[in-house]
Amino acid sequence: MFNSFASKAIIPVALSLTGFVIVCSLILYSSIREGFLRDAVRQETSLADTVVSSTRYTMMTDDRESLYHIIDSVGAQKGIEHLRIFNKEGVIMFSSDPGELNKVVDKTTAGCIECHSGPEPAERLGSMQLARRFVNGKNNNVLAITAPIYNDAHCSAGDCHFHPDHQKVLGTLDIGLSTASLDSSLLALRLKMVVFCVMVLILSVGGISALLRRNLLAPINNLIDYVRNVSGGSMDNDFPKGISEIETLGQIYHEMAKEKHHAETELIKIRKADSLPKRKGG
Amino acid sequence: MFLRRKQRQSHPLTPDEGIPSPESRRQEIQGRIHYLTKQIRYSKWWMALFFLFSLCAAVDFRFFPPISEKTRQFLGASPSPTLISIALIVYAFSALILILGHMNTGSVRFRGWSHIGYLSAFYLFYYYTGVLRENFWPVFIAGLTILGLESYRVWSACSEAIRMEKEILASVKK
Repeated sequence: MFNSFASKAIIPVALSLTGFVIVCSLILYSSIREGFLRDAVRQETSLADTVVSSTRYTMMTDDRESLYHIIDSVGAQKGIEHLRIFNKEGVIMFSSDPGELNKVVDKTTAGCIECHSGPEPAERLGSMQLARRFVNGKNNNVLAITAPIYNDAHCSAGDCHFHPDHQKVLGTLDIGLSTASLDSSLLALRLKMVVFCVMVLILSVGGISALLRRNLLAPINNLIDYVRNVSGGSMDNDFPKGISEIETLGQIYHEMAKEKHHAETELIKIRKADSLPKRKGG
Repeated sequence: MFLRRKQRQSHPLTPDEGIPSPESRRQEIQGRIHYLTKQIRYSKWWMALFFLFSLCAAVDFRFFPPISEKTRQFLGASPSPTLISIALIVYAFSALILILGHMNTGSVRFRGWSHIGYLSAFYLFYYYTGVLRENFWPVFIAGLTILGLESYRVWSACSEAIRMEKEILASVKK
């Protein structure tokens, strides 16, 4: 099976082409996924900034009830899995889930460790470093981001509650969005790429097979039939035509066979001529 | 081609030496068959080694101690994952073209060992950058394709050469 001309021509091409296309598709997929994720994090950061801005006045006036309502109504939006604000000590002060109020966040978990890995907590991180992906208790895939709430002149000099001037970060807003739509887009992309790879494989193998069959295998088979007929004694068939090299080969064989046939006829004639005087003499 | 060169080197048929004896011819052919079989075996061993290395990469080289800050400072900043991916595509493309070229010349020598080195380097680069888990499959598929094609090339050329050598051996025995 592997010794045939078709397999020797098709296997290397199909293997190298399919392998290379798969490698390129995987790298492309990885790059697109990273782009999608970056966009999602950017949107989430923007949403977190919006929440921080909209709660700013209530924080300044220490209007906790309004703040609860804002957190509740934003947290109830479709696609938002959690929304919480915790203070510098890691105690959850406001949350869309009332059950987790006043609980302390573990600083070694994802989302906190990025800032708290060193002896002094980091004050500023890139948006991608603030993002984390995990599966929550409801078994939903979540992309969460922690946005620090920074101190400013209004906060440190406010009348209602005082924050010292040197304190850079007052607390953190943690928001988690469901990645269901992102995951479904990525799944659709994956399926399209698989279909693309299969199509490339079918096209390459099918195309090469068809071309080989039409231009090489069929003429070679015709040549084999012709040679077999000639060696069987039949000179009636014409040699296969169409492909230059095979036609030349057929022509050469045809001429050789004709010469051989002519020589054999001549030999028979000579033998007959030789045997006639003997009969007459006998 | 390689076999013919080897044959010329081992038995230059000078008039002084004359035609080699059937026994030495048989030994020479058997030696060549042994060499060809060894090349096929090599390709299997190197493939197995690549699978082993890939297995270590699949678990993110967990058994390696974490790279210390001092080592990171010594080695310098890691290249960006995009740059490594572009290098992987260029490498895979050129490696496949080279193997197809070797296929064209009919060489029977296995040359896959260098590819193991390159592929391992890609695994290590991704590991150093911290994105090996996301980029494991492209390197693995590239390795599978390159080493698979190289093994197929060696197997195909060697099997054909072995068949011819066995035919010659049978005629020498007669």
